[in-house]
Amino acid sequence: MRNLLMKEMKLSASILSYLFIAFGLMFLLPGYPILCGVFFSCLGIFQGYQNAREANDLVFSALLPVSKQDVVKGKMLFACFIELCTLALMAIAMLLRMTVFTDSVVYRMNALMNANPFALGVAFLIFGLFNLIFIAGFFKTSYKLGKPFVTFIIVAFVAIGIAEALHFFPSLEALNAFGTEHLTLQLSLLVAGVLCYIILTWLALRSSMANFEKTDL
Amino acid sequence: MDIVTIKDLTKTYPGFTLDSVSFSLAPGRIAGFIGRNGAGKTTTIKSMLNLVHPDHGQVEYFGMPLSGNEAQIKRRIGYSTGTISWYPRKRIRDIKAVTKPFYDSWDDARYESFLRLFALDESKTPRELSDGMKVKCNLLFALSHGAEVLILDEPTSGLDPFSRDELLDIFEQIKQTGVAIFFSTHIISDIEKCADDIVYISKGRIVAAIPKEEFATRHQQPGESLEEAFLRLERGVLDA
Repeated sequence: MRNLLMKEMKLSASILSYLFIAFGLMFLLPGYPILCGVFFSCLGIFQGYQNAREANDLVFSALLPVSKQDVVKGKMLFACFIELCTLALMAIAMLLRMTVFTDSVVYRMNALMNANPFALGVAFLIFGLFNLIFIAGFFKTSYKLGKPFVTFIIVAFVAIGIAEALHFFPSLEALNAFGTEHLTLQLSLLVAGVLCYIILTWLALRSSMANFEKTDL
Repeated sequence: MDIVTIKDLTKTYPGFTLDSVSFSLAPGRIAGFIGRNGAGKTTTIKSMLNLVHPDHGQVEYFGMPLSGNEAQIKRRIGYSTGTISWYPRKRIRDIKAVTKPFYDSWDDARYESFLRLFALDESKTPRELSDGMKVKCNLLFALSHGAEVLILDEPTSGLDPFSRDELLDIFEQIKQTGVAIFFSTHIISDIEKCADDIVYISKGRIVAAIPKEEFATRHQQPGESLEEAFLRLERGVLDA
């Protein structure tokens, strides 16, 4: 699997897959829908898939001495690597906003979603949706990229809109907690987001492996 | 003992059926797989590599079914296809660096010698290569890990006559080491020059899978060249 991950990193990926990890730092932006950072990171992974398709990457990979299922595992592992790097930057930005910048006026006056564990949990959820909608969608044909990515864009922006709107509803203000307020609730929501990510990614992997095995290249 | 056995390979597409294709390959022999465009050569080869899933039939290497032993078998076989570019914007050196760790038997000395023989520059990317050089580049990777079976899809297409001749001589050298070579072509002189066996496919069906001498005895008429015999047979098959 290490060899396949290296192949993904050195041959299949687009440079944008790596550069767009930096959008995780959008969690530092005040007055901006910070979850858009997830979308940009996914766009970087999408660019990698586009590059790989033009480079006959799937056929090359399927001819290597690995099973076709391992080819899919390698691609999913690389996507998870990019996603977790982005999430790590988001987590660092979130911790900075919850501690060092807790008295910062720009963050206190922020009208949009705060960078808190709930926001990070939603970021995990949206990455999970990307894996299920885009990656598993791509492996239905191992060729068509547009439809699954457009579907993901719609779902992702609906999810971002809902996450941004929720704290304006009465009794849901705690979702937009600042600093260490409502920490138990916030951490529970983060754990729920991580669980969603794991489940969605597992479902995506299972479906992708089954479909790729049946696909004629 | 046969090193590759194909039994009743069947695959149906709209308008085309690969129909119960069966043949076998022996170690240390070169089999030329001949047929006109669209006869089913590439579908057969892709089925032999699990890139295409046959509706029916079996593919066995070294006495093991491909299904369930894919990784183990692919480590022992080499594949190259015409002028397809893998990673057209990556340098050959970088593609090699990633490919090498997949094969325990990768032989750097062998790689270097073919690199020199094919006059390939490692710092070039596949998109900078001519079609003929792309064929050589693909062959370079197939030949560098000590494969026991080489499956080559139109390896001579796009090559100049000198390179083709060189390549067919290389096939002869490789065969002496016990490697089985299976190559598809529609250039009959390639078959005449180096094949021991002929696998002839027409309209998705195997017409003959026999040693070249037997093919001549059975199908060539007095004074007829191999090319003329194929053209006559092909017309006959098509008229049927």
